[in-house]
Amino acid sequence: MPRWGMVIDVKRCIGCWGCTIACKEEHFLSPGVFFNRLLIGEKGKFPSSRKLIYPILCNHCGEAACVEACPTGATFVREDGIVAIDPDKCVGCRACLISCPYQQRTYYDKSVKEREYFPGQGKTELELIGEKLYPFKEGTVIKCNFCSERIEDGLKKGLTPGVDEDATPACVTICPVEARVFGDLDDSNSRINRMIMEFKGKQLRPEFGTEPAVYYID
Amino acid sequence: MTKEMHHHEKTMFPPDGTGLKPYEWMIKATPQQQWIDSKGVYLWLAFFFSEIGAGLYFISLFYSYRPGLVLGWLITLVLGGVIHVLYLGNPFNAWRMIMKPQTSELSRGIWVIFVFAALGFLQIITSGGFNVVFNVIMGILCLLIISHGFATMNVIRAIPAWSSTMVLPLSVISGVWVGSQLLQFMFAVSGAAALAASLEVWAEVLLLIYIGCVLLYLWGTYHANEVARESIENFFKGDMQKIFLGGVVGLGCVLPLLLSFIMWGGDTNGFLIFIRLVSVFAGDLALRYVIMKRAYYTPLI
Repeated sequence: MPRWGMVIDVKRCIGCWGCTIACKEEHFLSPGVFFNRLLIGEKGKFPSSRKLIYPILCNHCGEAACVEACPTGATFVREDGIVAIDPDKCVGCRACLISCPYQQRTYYDKSVKEREYFPGQGKTELELIGEKLYPFKEGTVIKCNFCSERIEDGLKKGLTPGVDEDATPACVTICPVEARVFGDLDDSNSRINRMIMEFKGKQLRPEFGTEPAVYYID
Repeated sequence: MTKEMHHHEKTMFPPDGTGLKPYEWMIKATPQQQWIDSKGVYLWLAFFFSEIGAGLYFISLFYSYRPGLVLGWLITLVLGGVIHVLYLGNPFNAWRMIMKPQTSELSRGIWVIFVFAALGFLQIITSGGFNVVFNVIMGILCLLIISHGFATMNVIRAIPAWSSTMVLPLSVISGVWVGSQLLQFMFAVSGAAALAASLEVWAEVLLLIYIGCVLLYLWGTYHANEVARESIENFFKGDMQKIFLGGVVGLGCVLPLLLSFIMWGGDTNGFLIFIRLVSVFAGDLALRYVIMKRAYYTPLI
């Protein structure tokens, strides 16, 4: 069984927001909900300051703080390393949301569910279709799932996630500069493992001991 | 601009800048919102009531005072429990919270509350309920319930202000201290002046320990790291200044201290006990509020 992971080359990222938008489009996310964020900051002082752009998503941690905190077992790590949520088990306590050091979870309550892209004008056809395709359950927590439905469908068709677009997360597919690479962390010959070793990929805030499956090359 | 549109803008991008703005996410110390804002307020109240109820039960054990046990049991389970359930997104799934005691502090807490509910009920209804073994078991359960809320917060590594070693002692002493004040008020209104006077000595000791724990929490957290320091600085200079100085310092520490000096050595007075109880309630709520409201996440870069 593979263990899916991602490498993001920060030096390549141009801050185009393509991943953020592709993710929202893929999952029909309500206004204000982001599974992919761009974290833009700077280090140092002028004239030696440096702009930093870090695309951030759920890190699908091996030792996930959210999984430990969840009192019902609704949040769990799948065999393929993807941290998933079972909405039928979620009690909406938000312990996972509080515990996540990367703040990559969103509480899907009535106010979020009722948000419209054109406020006061009613939901568009696209938004209504999205509610049918991705029926997020009110009162539960939602987050990035590494586009697990794309991966699963792709594998059924004999495609390779990270290589074939249809089996690869939307944020990876959309990236115009190939800053994101997706693949199997347990395969020592996979492209992402070679990149992690060659360019010394780093995890975000490893001191929290969460063992993220998303690596950054900066 | 329609009303809906205005509401929409308020929820997504409130003027105080706390809304979701992906381009500045987590580049600076970011306050947690889920456990204090909007419906999160329930959790703040639920922690408070569960803990003072257990505190009242704990102190009542020393006096074998059944009305104190009953009220403490009811506050913890009915008031604290109901508010906890109101906070949940899917309350009908609440039974599932017993499923993960091996890793989840929340789940462990639910088990403790179930055992407390069952044994507490037995202790209240049985005539020989105040034997030593029962008292020790119930005392331990009370301390676990008192510390449960802050223990849940304490294990969150990403929020340094909650990871302070003083968080648990502070929660235990605050639960016992406020619980003792409730018991003293019960003694005063039931005409048991001698018992109220005898509890005054304990009240004075508990208050001094409480103030000491608050000071140690502030000092320890301030020196923990930059993010934790920011939390504490916000108590003194930021938007929490009024609540902290007026609530925590004024009502939670200074006024009770003054009233304790007046009643020093057991010279108690029902009215002053009531004033101190109200003051301590407000002060402890304020302390919990500022600790939860100004809990900052460590920036990611």
